[in-house]
Amino acid sequence: MNVHTHLALHGVAVKKHGSAAAIADLLGADEAVIAACLADATARGRAAEVGGRYLLTPAGRMIVEAEYSRHYAAARADQGFLAAHTRFESVNHELKQLITDWQTINIGGRQLANDHSDAAYDGKIIHRLGTLHDKAVPVLKALATSLPRFARYLDKLEAALGRVEDGERAWFSDATIASYHTVWFELHEDILRVLGRAREE
Amino acid sequence: MANPLGRYLLALDGSALPSRELIGGKAWSVARMLSLKLRVPPAVVITTDACRAYLETGSVPAELATELDAAIAWLEAATGRQFGGDKPLLVSVRSGAAISMPGMMDTVLNLGINDHTEAALAAEAGDDTFARDTHRRFLELYASIVLKATLGENTPHDPRSLREEIAAQGDAVPEAPRAQLLAAVNAVFDSWNSRRARRYRQHHGIADSLGTAVTVQAMVFGNLDERSGTGVLFSRNPLTGDLAPYGEYLHRAQGEDVVSGRFTPEPLSALQASAPAVHAQLMQAAATLESENADVQDIEFTVQHGELFLLQTRSAKRAPQAAVRFAVDMVEEGRIDTRTALARVQAEQIRTLLKPRLADGATHGATLLAEGEPACQGVGAGVVVTDSDSAEQRAEAGEAVVLARGTTSPEDVHGMIAAHAVITEQGGATSHAAVVSRALGVPCIVGCGTGALAALNGQAVTVDANTGHIYAGLLPVVTPDESDDPRLAKLHAWAVAASPITVLRDGEPGADAAFDLAELEGGEDPEQLPALLAGKTCVRGGAIESDAGVAAALAAGVKTIVARHPLPVLLAAIHGAAP
Repeated sequence: MNVHTHLALHGVAVKKHGSAAAIADLLGADEAVIAACLADATARGRAAEVGGRYLLTPAGRMIVEAEYSRHYAAARADQGFLAAHTRFESVNHELKQLITDWQTINIGGRQLANDHSDAAYDGKIIHRLGTLHDKAVPVLKALATSLPRFARYLDKLEAALGRVEDGERAWFSDATIASYHTVWFELHEDILRVLGRAREE
Repeated sequence: MANPLGRYLLALDGSALPSRELIGGKAWSVARMLSLKLRVPPAVVITTDACRAYLETGSVPAELATELDAAIAWLEAATGRQFGGDKPLLVSVRSGAAISMPGMMDTVLNLGINDHTEAALAAEAGDDTFARDTHRRFLELYASIVLKATLGENTPHDPRSLREEIAAQGDAVPEAPRAQLLAAVNAVFDSWNSRRARRYRQHHGIADSLGTAVTVQAMVFGNLDERSGTGVLFSRNPLTGDLAPYGEYLHRAQGEDVVSGRFTPEPLSALQASAPAVHAQLMQAAATLESENADVQDIEFTVQHGELFLLQTRSAKRAPQAAVRFAVDMVEEGRIDTRTALARVQAEQIRTLLKPRLADGATHGATLLAEGEPACQGVGAGVVVTDSDSAEQRAEAGEAVVLARGTTSPEDVHGMIAAHAVITEQGGATSHAAVVSRALGVPCIVGCGTGALAALNGQAVTVDANTGHIYAGLLPVVTPDESDDPRLAKLHAWAVAASPITVLRDGEPGADAAFDLAELEGGEDPEQLPALLAGKTCVRGGAIESDAGVAAALAAGVKTIVARHPLPVLLAAIHGAAP
């Protein structure tokens, strides 16, 4: 599998049910190239297309996973990338707690769903997200030094953070849009695939 | 004016209430408590005038340094302690503008501690660990907030090594309390121009010249002796809405201990038993604050050497049930009008109250198949499916499915959207499944145990994510109604009277005329509603019952909405129409 095809299918693995445009956007790649690769992969039975959105077939999934070590040998041997990944996991741990604090609220000792009726509480969590983001920026820049396409994630995270800070709450953790959490999670998935590591819950 | 200590400094002594613009929101709330004759730790405030001078010249005005000495002397006299002395005065330093905004400096606590004052504090409290811990907490906060150093996870705990580690990254933490204070004040002023604060002001049209104040307040300690402690008090029960005050008290402990969860707090009756006079004062203070603010209060307090200090009060966060009860009860007590009551209950809170739940007695005799940690409350039932692609396909074919996974990843989001409930074997409250299901509002139980769910594949189950139990079969579920509860019914009647639009239930006269958005492509997407609603006067279905849907309906001039539950729609309309 050539490098473009692998990248396109990797994009499908990270952004399942994405359109060619969404996958190209995720990867920072040329949409026409990605669309051609996906059409070809679909013809070969490695991907399936439903209404312009793609997912991997079991065979496609196996091939993509088998080839990560070949396409990302450099990243896997890059001490800078590995060190940045370690720091990312530490910030990731904080982010998970932060998202939980955004979604739930402690009332009289019980953890309930945050109905966002307390603007001061939300303001504090948004403040913490900004602080966490400031901490994540050097880590993401370090990742992008080794793999330049990772710079896309930083742009997307900054866009989501900006919308949250401007009062659009959904951009914090809504799973159906490119919210801070959605982008972060895709980034995490991307890194784990590149390194061939398993997610730890 | 409070008590001027110079051009830029005020001592808060309850003599008059300065403006929010001059002293910022935090100092204002301290001053307000003082004006109600409540006991608050002594505090001084550096006004926003000083910040403006700092912003103009790039340095702290020369007079401020002298005035700070007078302020410290005032705090020392008010507390009977000395900054840097043998009976040490420690202070907190907070930023505070008239309007709170992100990006401003976080609070530095325990400022004034060094090797000498640590030893003095240890002798006073008879507790070396507490004094050393206080020193360490100060160093960590000061390093991250004032020096912006990033300390790793394995930072040393003893203050000497910690100071060395911080210094190795750049600036050291000053030994002298006065130097610590000056640097913290500078850091507050600098934070006014942080990226996030500037961005926030720009977006919200807040003038850059507003400036921030700095509140310097004496620390009080709840762990100095047997007659000390700390706690939180709600003036009414924030979970049930019950009238009785509700709170927790930690004997001989500090505020951080309550938050950290390392100690098990006692109910307030413990304080009542050990210090009835303090308890009575606290109840009196709660009543005063609730009455003055015309809302239920969440009050933080500390008892030091048997003396009660109020640290902070704010409107209490509340569970949905309590939100309804507070609002209705306070109207009946004559404290607020119905308009205020309606403003205090969110549509989302009513949606939560009206979510389907298991019928009374439904679990009697039912087989418990598995249990885990509730991550997103609610009840969902259906056939267990263990992969997300099948879950989506079967849901599209009209089947109710419950998605069961070991863990979930971004690959599962489409399956989670399609499911009536999500259950996982591994992971806790912060796992992907928990986070995403809460974002989607799908009932979810996590951490049922490895191997606990795979065998359920193909079986019909009922997931009670209120309790964390998964039962065999489809148990009877009831959908609550506004009329079930007298308070909800009352709120409903007020909402009908205040709403700018009419909301009908299914089956009511006139409901048949409604145009059904579900029949249109994009009717479920709030962003597409403005275009779809043009020219319509009576609408139902699609995304119309969501907050965004109601907002779009108001904007499009829709007169009537037909809804399964009218009250959330009415509230969304009232809140959406309010200026």
